[in-house]
Amino acid sequence: MPPFGKVLVANRGEIAVRVMKAVKEMGMKAVAVYSEADKYALHVKYADEAYYIGPAPALQSYLNINAIIDAAEKAHADAIHPGYGFLSENADFAEAVVKAGITWIGPPVEAMRAIKSKLDGKRIAKMAGVPISPGSDGPVESLDEALKIAEKIGYPIMVKAAYGGGGTGITRVDTPEQLVEVWERNKRLAYQAFGKADLYIEKAAVNPRHIEFQLIGDKYGNYVVAWERECTIQRRNQKLIEEAPSPALKMEERESMFEPIIKFGKIIGYYTLGTFETVFSDVTREFYFLELNKRLQVEHPITEMIFRIDLVKLQIRLAAGEPLPFTQEELNKRVRGHAIEFRINAEDPLNDFTGSSGFITYYKEPTGPGVRVDSGVTLGSYVPPFYDSLISKLITYGENRQQAIEAGLRALNDYKIGGVRTTIELYKWIVQDEDFQKGKFTTAYIAEKKEQFIKYLKQKEQMKAALAATIYERGLLKKATTAQQPTAQKALKSGWKTYGLIQQSSYRVLW
Amino acid sequence: MKLLRISSDLGDNYVATYDQKGNKDIINFEGNKFEIEYIGPGWREGEMLFRINGEIHRVYIDNGFIVIDDETIFKVDRITETPVEQGKSLEELIKGKEGEVLSPMQGRIVQIRVKEGDAVTKGQPLLSIEAMKSETVISAPVSGVVQKILVKPGQGVKKGDLLLIIK
Repeated sequence: MPPFGKVLVANRGEIAVRVMKAVKEMGMKAVAVYSEADKYALHVKYADEAYYIGPAPALQSYLNINAIIDAAEKAHADAIHPGYGFLSENADFAEAVVKAGITWIGPPVEAMRAIKSKLDGKRIAKMAGVPISPGSDGPVESLDEALKIAEKIGYPIMVKAAYGGGGTGITRVDTPEQLVEVWERNKRLAYQAFGKADLYIEKAAVNPRHIEFQLIGDKYGNYVVAWERECTIQRRNQKLIEEAPSPALKMEERESMFEPIIKFGKIIGYYTLGTFETVFSDVTREFYFLELNKRLQVEHPITEMIFRIDLVKLQIRLAAGEPLPFTQEELNKRVRGHAIEFRINAEDPLNDFTGSSGFITYYKEPTGPGVRVDSGVTLGSYVPPFYDSLISKLITYGENRQQAIEAGLRALNDYKIGGVRTTIELYKWIVQDEDFQKGKFTTAYIAEKKEQFIKYLKQKEQMKAALAATIYERGLLKKATTAQQPTAQKALKSGWKTYGLIQQSSYRVLW
Repeated sequence: MKLLRISSDLGDNYVATYDQKGNKDIINFEGNKFEIEYIGPGWREGEMLFRINGEIHRVYIDNGFIVIDDETIFKVDRITETPVEQGKSLEELIKGKEGEVLSPMQGRIVQIRVKEGDAVTKGQPLLSIEAMKSETVISAPVSGVVQKILVKPGQGVKKGDLLLIIK
């Protein structure tokens, strides 16, 4: 028996399609919502039903709580899956969903409220014994106090907005002078972006790795931790490549985090999926808690690959009140191999990763062993400039890290997208980079390697332009296009008759 | 020797000198030089073989896209050429061409935000073109001084028309 009849997916693009696949497999109906810009989008076509919710800007559509609840009521949906981003971590939305008598596929509203700000998360982490980085215990009131705390814990420090998210509102500060300079500006920015000006301070980890743990819980207080994901390859605090398991961790180090994380979950009565983001230092071998993400992560497929479980289906079942189907011990035994995810963004790595929108005019997707593509676009799709630049995710799997990388390079070579700029060419360079292959990297990887990969990418683009010039100047284009495979001739007569004629025209018959 | 401006479908412009020496093409971008030779057709239908800086590459055309080594793609929007003026160095030629702002589409000039003699920085909006009821802002491809503006507000332009020159 499927747990629900109809599930509305309050999201767009790649993740909406991914969730709908799980919904369909479980024998339920999938409902999409869409904005003006997404009229012809893949997730709208893929759903069983689709409802228009407003104009292109996200505030009027995918962030419009009333419009989405209206659509859910119109569709008679039993449950809402929020995906990631947009309203996925919005407690008000979750509450509105529950009030409308619809099941919220996510953590309980109270748990979401309990860790609304990053500081609340830090306080509970301290209670649970999750290691946190030294810094202010609450919001810092004044600049004087900030300078005092910074002096005590030592520079460099991070100044963070308590209500920020998605990598915004975070500044690294190296000197007291810089702190003076940054303080008022960040306060103003935090207020403008998040409506609350609270700032706090913590010690900055030097060249850290970004490692996150997957917490899974049911409504009956059972928890497991589905190991970790290494998300160190980032630009501007946003992830590009993730892998599981982390090439840097030993089993004891990994296991040392399970107990405190489960305790954290118990304190706030958490269930379904949650992700503990931490920074990890290669040198001190210590974890520092950053925040708990109360949703399905973009990079969930790599955990699915190594454990061979479907996290979305599991999330839906847990939200419906089913118990966890495995224990930590059973889960540990399931782990096998290595998985890497490449986020295919419509961005220009040569131009500081600025977004690139337009129509997809060429599209060839990789397939085959060890390759999974979670895509939100296809040939002819429009990539609107209003939303996130993530258009697809390429996930590769191998018996070990080396094989996952090999499958990655093969699949990246097979993946061809025209009409928008993408990060594919950059990833081809990264997987062939020695430091990446050895697992030697920190969150500064992209910034440190920038000069190298820009030189490589520029030269490759110029090589292609030069080749194009030769093809055009020497008139080779016409030659190549006329030589193209002739289109299949229209069968004027039925196949049967032709077959008969061939038989008759054989000399033996004629004779 | 010719000066080529190769525009891709994504709006990238590459300026290079182009020289045919026998069956070899010498294509020189500022900083990078490519020697390309067409070897002949490959074994498969529609396949062409090229030697680029000593390495052999397989090329075929699919749906207007040039597919290289079945690994990477490129689409040409247009290639324009101009004869080379005597006595100028390569860098000067390429620099000069980079400052020429061409219209990316057919449309009508709505607003010009700069005057002749203005200093502009790379990425600064120069003018806007209206086409199909939407406005497209054209920004400066290089930093420099606006030397000449060749269009007026309200004027219709075709794709590839010269709009203004930055020196």
